[in-house]
Amino acid sequence: MVRKYFSLWCAFLRNSLTRDMEFKMNFIADLFIDAIFYGSMYFLWAVIFSYVDVLGDFNQDAVIIFLIIMYLTDTVFVFFFGSNTFTLNTMVVKGDLDLVLIKPVNPQFFMSFRYVCNYSLVSLIILLGLLLKLLYEYHGYISIFNFGIFSFSFILGVLLFYSIEFIISCLVFWYRNFSVGGWLASEVTKYSRRPDSIYTGKFRRIVFTIFPMAMITSVPARVLIFGPDLQLILFQLIVTVIFLLISNFIWNRGLQLYESASS
Amino acid sequence: MVSSIAIKYFSVLRTNWIQALEYRANALVGVLAIFSGLFIEYQIWDLIFKAKGYTTVKNFEFNELIIFIFLSIIIGQLKSSWHSSGEMIRAIRTGEINKYLIRPISYFWYHFMMFIGFNSLYYIVYSIILFGFTIIFKGMIFHTLASILCFFLALALSIYLSYCIYFIMVCFAFWFGEVRSLVVSYNLAMLVLSGQYVPIRFFPDYILNIINWTPIRYLVDFPVSIATGILPMEEWLSGLLMATLWCFVLSICSAIIYKLGIKDYEAYGS
Repeated sequence: MVRKYFSLWCAFLRNSLTRDMEFKMNFIADLFIDAIFYGSMYFLWAVIFSYVDVLGDFNQDAVIIFLIIMYLTDTVFVFFFGSNTFTLNTMVVKGDLDLVLIKPVNPQFFMSFRYVCNYSLVSLIILLGLLLKLLYEYHGYISIFNFGIFSFSFILGVLLFYSIEFIISCLVFWYRNFSVGGWLASEVTKYSRRPDSIYTGKFRRIVFTIFPMAMITSVPARVLIFGPDLQLILFQLIVTVIFLLISNFIWNRGLQLYESASS
Repeated sequence: MVSSIAIKYFSVLRTNWIQALEYRANALVGVLAIFSGLFIEYQIWDLIFKAKGYTTVKNFEFNELIIFIFLSIIIGQLKSSWHSSGEMIRAIRTGEINKYLIRPISYFWYHFMMFIGFNSLYYIVYSIILFGFTIIFKGMIFHTLASILCFFLALALSIYLSYCIYFIMVCFAFWFGEVRSLVVSYNLAMLVLSGQYVPIRFFPDYILNIINWTPIRYLVDFPVSIATGILPMEEWLSGLLMATLWCFVLSICSAIIYKLGIKDYEAYGS
């Protein structure tokens, strides 16, 4: 089963690579967008840190590491899911989802992994190198153990990110045309793009539980910056599994409402 | 003659207005975006003011700063064009623009009306928010009648300026085919550079000096500074004149680039 789906994903990867090579300018243009996004976020935090030295637990160096991890999360998400989650709206509106549903493959898998954003690999390599350099400068060493725990927490963060985006994209089944899904998702996940230490009081509890935005980037960042908190990682695992199950439940409920090409 | 032209373009505006009203969820998401963006900035600046014991930062008291950011997010949304610019790029790439070339209609003004029409729902909803805000928090924004009038004038100039910038970027599609990445990059950069998250007065001086020489200052910061009374009244007129001058310059640039683009256009997509 796993082998079948892995080989299917490899076929998606090859196909996407062929498509990307046809439009090489897009490859460069997408990297350009990433560079602008990274640059503007870095500039924003540089301006904020010109008025303060520490934001809660995070000082400027820690926030830069947080930013790199945020970029990495975004990059890995885009690599696997970025071109897929919000194509659902168009497919439902046009009725193209029929073609996915009749394939002998799990439709949620197909909808989530069909296209691979290969350009993200370039960003991924650069960001990973930068993260290792910054970590070494921050601690004076790189702990393999911490990095291992971080990798696990990071994957959970990406899966949680995916679940939230997928749940929002599934709203199309209820609204019939939900073209603002991408915008809504970016507004919701915006909370994950700030270090958790800026959230205080009850809202802080909320971003670690029912609205788990801190679980996407802040928890993996905390592992690398302050060391692993196994209780937090366990909680992150539980929250991620719950959200993945919810995404699958909402997808199946949505499919029951899907009225094919006439929708 | 003039009235027939006005009717023609008003029809485009009305059609897009009706279309925009069909997608009311857009306005809901827009409102959510404003308040969620504001909430995040509130959390950050609350932490900074408390941690450093500031009473003011760059002459902004905490409440003034939050109101400034609130208005900046609203204006930032009103001036942005993800939908219209995407449609224009697609039209050039696929050759759909041909139908505009054989019609007695200006491509620039047609899409400007589309841009206004598409955003009309936001204009209505955000105006209600602003009105409610002015009533509830008396004296925090719009201190005089002149500030209301100048704010709306500055807002109109900001929307027009923003449209011109989008139009110029879209026209590059005549040469490069796909310029969506340019528009997306511009949108992402403007979120920060136009002052939607942090007032541009907080930027380092060398960046601020550059921004002051560009139309970026008139996109968000200028209308918001008038509304909040941050900008002294004697600077309003010079600001409005500068913004108008930028409108002229960018209109001319738009016309030149469009003319050059149309010369190179091969209608290969049609």
